[in-house]
Amino acid sequence: MTDVRTPEAGSGGAGAAAPGEFVPGDPAPPKLPAAGRFGVTAWARWGWRQLTSMRIALVLLFLLALGSVPGSLLPQEGIDPAAVQQYYTAHPALAPFLNAFGLFNVFAAPWFAAIYLLLFVSLAGCVLPRAYRLARSARALPPAAPRLLSRLPNSVRYETTMTPAEASAAAEAFLARRRFRLHRGDGWLSAEKGYRREFGNLLFHIALIGVLVSVSLGGLLGYKADRVVVEGSSFADTITDLDAYHPGHLVSPGDLAPFSLTLDKFTASYILSGPDRDQPSVFGAHVSYTAQPGGPVRSYDIQVNHPLNVDSTKVYLIGHGYAPVLRVTDGRGKVVYDQATPFLPAETSTYLSEGVVKVPDAQPEQLGFAGVFLPTAVDVDGQLQSAFPAPYQPAVSMIPYSGNLGLNSGVPQSVYQLDTSGMHRLDTPVQVLTPGQSMKLPNGAGTLTFTGYKQWISLQVTYDPGQVPALVSGIVALAGLLLSFLVRRRRIFVRAYPGESGRTVVDVGGLARSDVGGGFETEFAELAAGLGAAFHGTSGADRPVPVTASTPARGDDDPSPTTEETRSAETE
Amino acid sequence: MFRSSTTVRRAVGMAVLAIAGVLGVAACGGQIAANTPASNGVNFVAGSGTTTYFKAGSRAAAPAVSGTTLSGAKLSLGSYRGQVVVLNFWGSWCAPCRKEAETLVVLSEQYKSKGVQFVGVDIRDSPATADAFVQNFGITYPSLNDPADEIALDFSGTVPPAAIPSTLVIDRSGRIAGRVIGGVTYPSLNSMLTKVTAGT
Repeated sequence: MTDVRTPEAGSGGAGAAAPGEFVPGDPAPPKLPAAGRFGVTAWARWGWRQLTSMRIALVLLFLLALGSVPGSLLPQEGIDPAAVQQYYTAHPALAPFLNAFGLFNVFAAPWFAAIYLLLFVSLAGCVLPRAYRLARSARALPPAAPRLLSRLPNSVRYETTMTPAEASAAAEAFLARRRFRLHRGDGWLSAEKGYRREFGNLLFHIALIGVLVSVSLGGLLGYKADRVVVEGSSFADTITDLDAYHPGHLVSPGDLAPFSLTLDKFTASYILSGPDRDQPSVFGAHVSYTAQPGGPVRSYDIQVNHPLNVDSTKVYLIGHGYAPVLRVTDGRGKVVYDQATPFLPAETSTYLSEGVVKVPDAQPEQLGFAGVFLPTAVDVDGQLQSAFPAPYQPAVSMIPYSGNLGLNSGVPQSVYQLDTSGMHRLDTPVQVLTPGQSMKLPNGAGTLTFTGYKQWISLQVTYDPGQVPALVSGIVALAGLLLSFLVRRRRIFVRAYPGESGRTVVDVGGLARSDVGGGFETEFAELAAGLGAAFHGTSGADRPVPVTASTPARGDDDPSPTTEETRSAETE
Repeated sequence: MFRSSTTVRRAVGMAVLAIAGVLGVAACGGQIAANTPASNGVNFVAGSGTTTYFKAGSRAAAPAVSGTTLSGAKLSLGSYRGQVVVLNFWGSWCAPCRKEAETLVVLSEQYKSKGVQFVGVDIRDSPATADAFVQNFGITYPSLNDPADEIALDFSGTVPPAAIPSTLVIDRSGRIAGRVIGGVTYPSLNSMLTKVTAGT
């Protein structure tokens, strides 16, 4: 976003880089300082210039994009911890290796943060000095008029009976009426218009800084949490009640919005036929919630991309599944487990789900079960499968274990995985249970009953105070960018001096500093004609005579009829 | 000159806008770094055993907490005013809670005569599993039944429990004297109770 500097205007142009100063954004980064002659300071300066160069920023951006790839290819701890567990089970050798590089939590990995922070510094180091230069440029006076105006892309010469001072004053009055910014010197006048371009540019750069600040604000003050909720149950937005919690650096436990939420009902519809068979058509989680303890109970329908908003904390629906209600009676005949147990979908097309039941308080030995839930159970050649994601024929099949679950050692373990290293499999044939059916465990170890099923949803609770400022900054950045592209800066120079014939010669030159859309020739012709009339009008003497007119040399295929237009305007 | 500079400028502008866009996406995707206590893939936030003790005079008042116990009786913390209360948040499914249970039982017996009342808060549990847990570990003190974890929410403005298990010690005038995030050990809770019962 450097200014376009022309040889004509560059010397006095505002915002021109001092000789040797590196302008960030120049296509080529500065040359390496020669070894030996340069000290620590020079190397630091060189490093800083490298870091803030556009090339390095683009390299970092590319690395950021590259680093995000594993984030979308591999399951992520922050988004779907259950999928990470499944990946560990499926690839026991590869998963710890990937985890060592933080690939299951890419966006929290130190190397990702390093790229991010370097890019942040690079952008800030590039944008801040530039914003300062742009601010100066937006307030600067136009440069002094060049000596030979006839060399400019657009120029015209008049002769008038006015004195040079009168002609200059007339030109000044005319251009001031046209809202040009004026700079007067000895026998010359510079006028410039289109500073809104610089203003737009400045706005864009400031908004970029706004985006950066908003993003870091969100990273420091925001938090993200996950929670699985079964139909009919509740949860509170407090750390003890969350499945996973990722706070920003400045978030303390008391900062969480103290809402609590009950899942009343979850409905999902699936497409029954056609190419999109098995695909969900409608999801809806009907919840009731209170914004703070003791507050009024409200109800809401959370849908995908239609989150619940509680005091700026958003609750998104990100997943769902089945939770079979299982009851376990131990060897003493006592009910030691009776609850809906969330199973994780192993196949998204059929919602065949896997899960475990841990009964640490069963007597005489702890019990564990691992198995599957099938929403629509079918028998295909002796293989138990699910035919459809909706619960048309629900069934479970569980393998029982007894022994030591490893829970009493105090080491936290996943509720979705059974550590069978201290257990032995109970010798019983595989059974498929439909709602209401039970299986007896061998040796009087107990009974497992499949009493029914519920559905669960997984919710993501996010608070990002940087979201709205980032959006506003983004819109402002776009508006500033448009302004800087659409407005062009153009200059008019006037030099008046006594000619040989005793009349005053007035040279008028025009220059567009960035004529993106073209059309400056037309504007120049119109201004030149106006100036010509001004020289004529005040003195009442002979009308000024346009002596020469030049237009920039352009390609033959350029359709703009600039010369003709200028002439016709002048002879008017 | 004009043309080429404009192209460069435009390209650079677009690149900067793209960077801003990707930064925005990255912001949506995750946090820069996780804080402690963080998720550890075990589907609840487990603590590290961090113990905090507040000196008398710098203690926050505990909120009024009441509810129904696992055995169906009404219980209000306010009725224990004048006694030291140990409030332990637990779940039968949580491994660190199972490990600390024996210690809590031992300490509750040891400090009974010194005016210390233990109260459990059973969260995210079902009655069947909670009863089995209480019976298995021989827990004699009452536990409030709080499947939705609303009691922890009541503490959010003061000294919130920040993991499962968490233990709060409330002094005789109803102020929070200490907190253990994660499982308690005999030495840590014992020394805290010695100090609180001595009134320091």
